[in-house]
Amino acid sequence: MSQALKITLLSLICSVPAISLIHRLFTDQLGANPVETLEHFSGDWTIYFLLLTLSISPLQYYFRPRWPIPMHLVRRVLGLSAFAYALIHLSVYFAFDMGLSFNDTLVDIAERPFILIGMLAFLILIPLAVTSTSGWQRRLKRRWSQLHKLIYLLTFLGILHYALLVKADLFQPLAYLSLFAALMLARQLKGLKRN
Amino acid sequence: MIPSSKITPESIFLNRRRFIQGMAGVGLMSTPLIGHALQFKSNPEYKPALELTDPEHALHYNNFYELGTAKSDPFQNAEALHTDDWKVVVEGECTKPQTFDMDDLLRIDQEERIYRFRCVEGWSMVVPWIGFPLSKLLEKVQPTSKAHYVEFVSVLDRKNLPGQRFNLLDWPYKEGLRMDEAMHPLTLMATGLYGKELANQNGAPIRLIVPWKYGFKSSKSIVKIRLLEKQPISTWMEAAPREYGFYSNVNPNVSHPRWSQAKERPLGSFLKQKTLMFNGYAEEVAHLYKGMDLKKYF
Repeated sequence: MSQALKITLLSLICSVPAISLIHRLFTDQLGANPVETLEHFSGDWTIYFLLLTLSISPLQYYFRPRWPIPMHLVRRVLGLSAFAYALIHLSVYFAFDMGLSFNDTLVDIAERPFILIGMLAFLILIPLAVTSTSGWQRRLKRRWSQLHKLIYLLTFLGILHYALLVKADLFQPLAYLSLFAALMLARQLKGLKRN
Repeated sequence: MIPSSKITPESIFLNRRRFIQGMAGVGLMSTPLIGHALQFKSNPEYKPALELTDPEHALHYNNFYELGTAKSDPFQNAEALHTDDWKVVVEGECTKPQTFDMDDLLRIDQEERIYRFRCVEGWSMVVPWIGFPLSKLLEKVQPTSKAHYVEFVSVLDRKNLPGQRFNLLDWPYKEGLRMDEAMHPLTLMATGLYGKELANQNGAPIRLIVPWKYGFKSSKSIVKIRLLEKQPISTWMEAAPREYGFYSNVNPNVSHPRWSQAKERPLGSFLKQKTLMFNGYAEEVAHLYKGMDLKKYF
């Protein structure tokens, strides 16, 4: 199988949740609060793909698996998937919660810290998605990996955005935070070993 | 005040009712979705021509933390709530404290009322409750002149209720009303929904409905009603005093600290609609709060 085909296949796998969501949308299976379902689903999958993206390097350090395509390409597809789900998330919010009003959105950002934090996370994600290509990677050289370290910050902000929204049950955001912490720790331990 | 587009044609309304009745006939009785039929009369005074929420939504999308915090949990865990031999104790500042069983409570004339229901989270529904005014129950125990507040205590069953295995909230769930709010003719003790007994996930066998307040004020599965001299502290006030006040009247002009309350999304709908002052019951209840700063007493 050619590399291009493998990448296409991986991208298709990453879009399965989105396809299932579209299926539910058109078969009226989104439940009593369809907008909330769309938002929670796309938000959850944004975080899952961010965590998957962050797990590639630790996997490499500790297990050295045989990647079907070069590791950095796996990471690129996962990272771009996170961006795609975040874009769905933001679009649903903008269309159905804000009624496509920029003005209402600005007021919402100003008044609600969890919206501001979510927006910040998305804004940080944009340059990472744009510079994900090999061309940009070459052009930016060492600064590319410095820039892409922002994924640590934006993943944290994404989880914080979720934690600030819930009413009392923090179980799920705390589970995400624990996974994030574990992945960060795995990196630190490897760094220590190298020194 | 109600746009004609929001009025459900009677034929559709009747069809829905027939559909629900029909489901009971084809053997879905074993699911917690459909309870037994209740004896009741429709009260024409509380029959606004609003489009009813699809019962599928009202029965599957619930906040009832005793049965789990996800919206689908209360339906899925409905059987964990045991309602046999249910009793409601009414005590405190009254001359005739009593314990009522469900037969006693169902002997009070049951009537159907269509009310708007607005959750503090920003979703809403319109459902036909069956029940009786709380005032009829309180009159039976003869409140004393010291009874200024009413506290409602919900079920406590740590062994069976999955949500009570953790102290996410300080169980049992407690809520309260001022005496004049409790005696208001709109304040209902509900025993049924959509023509049937309350489903467990909706707070069986008996719950409170205060239609001009956010939904969490309308306690589910009530076991005790206390008449008090001093204002009680509700469970949500205790959990997050900055976010949930004692009054919690529906008010589009006072935001929740984390989100706006100006609009709401009816269950089943993609688009939002404007939230009405006191959830559309301003004419009936605004006088109760005359001269009060509703930003302070949220």
